[in-house]
Amino acid sequence: MSKDLKFLVVDDFSTMRRIIKNLLHDLGYPNVAEADDGKTALPMLQAGGFDFLITDWNMPGMPGLELIKAVRADAKLAKMPVLMLTAEAKREQIIEAAQAGVNGYVIKPFTAETLKEKLDKILGGGK
Amino acid sequence: MSNFQVMKLEYGACVDALSEALRAGDETAFFTAVDHIVRMREPATLTEIRRLTGDLQKALERFSIESRLADIAENEIPDAKTSLAHVIKMTDDAAHRTLDLVEQSGPLAERTGREAAALIDSLKAYRERPSGGSGFEGAVRSIDAFLPVVRAVEAFLPAARTDSDTIRRNLADVLLAQGYQDLTGQIIRSVIKLVVELEETLANLTKLSGDIVEHTTLGESPDKGHGPVVPGVTRGEVASGQTDVDELLSGLGM
Repeated sequence: MSKDLKFLVVDDFSTMRRIIKNLLHDLGYPNVAEADDGKTALPMLQAGGFDFLITDWNMPGMPGLELIKAVRADAKLAKMPVLMLTAEAKREQIIEAAQAGVNGYVIKPFTAETLKEKLDKILGGGK
Repeated sequence: MSNFQVMKLEYGACVDALSEALRAGDETAFFTAVDHIVRMREPATLTEIRRLTGDLQKALERFSIESRLADIAENEIPDAKTSLAHVIKMTDDAAHRTLDLVEQSGPLAERTGREAAALIDSLKAYRERPSGGSGFEGAVRSIDAFLPVVRAVEAFLPAARTDSDTIRRNLADVLLAQGYQDLTGQIIRSVIKLVVELEETLANLTKLSGDIVEHTTLGESPDKGHGPVVPGVTRGEVASGQTDVDELLSGLGM
């Protein structure tokens, strides 16, 4: 599987973005860009060049769920793999995220193994 | 019979007794009638005084609660907001400091490991080298073959020592960076104290006004998210961990 994939990590906390970026780097994905909410992320995604979106849910401006809905509604982005990485753990929310079209859902706090497992599953899932 | 009609009957009899005493010039009967009227009026006056005192007390209490609320709203809430923003800044700084140190240490540990592995390989290659023959020449060949290994060890050891010193220092700094928890804990505790006081003050005010406060919730869209699960606060069905999430999603066919 190609390690040249370009990731966009969306989280309002810079420390969390840095942690995810570090983990992706350790997993062999050095190509990572960051955005601090959906409003910043969407134009970056629309400008093209990204292969994978990792987003938080609870963010000021545009929350993650809205970003995912916008991504799925955009013909150019509709098929992009999306992993939601969030502290939101209500069952109804997880169902809502699944309905919005996430490819994976990881709750915080998470481990490096969980992130790896979900990425492998999504990327190896023949998307 | 209305209250006034009852009063008319009661007071009428007294007034009659009073005018009769006046007409008859009976001083004793006159004062008896006057005392009777005063006694009849007393309970009503006392009730009135009691009511006024109660109202005054309530007004004073309300004033004291309202001035405390005004003080909380004007000074302490803005201070609490600033304090909490400071907590975010402190945790942010500590997290970044920790990440800096971890990012700095990772490559050092990696380099030491990599170079140690290379040395192990060199030693193994030396041990497994084809025989250089016996006698003086064989010994010279053996020394010649070992020299690069010695040089590599000489280069490795000081670098490994410097790197492990740096890593140890970084770990000590990671430890120190956790000191924020003490400070943020104290600030958060003082904000909790304020919230408790605010809750009590508002409850007292509600009790005093006797108003029924309807429960209202902030009409925020669920799309915004609720934030992390807080035990005892978060309501509704919550996933207990990643396994629970995975099971739920696989149940949905994901």
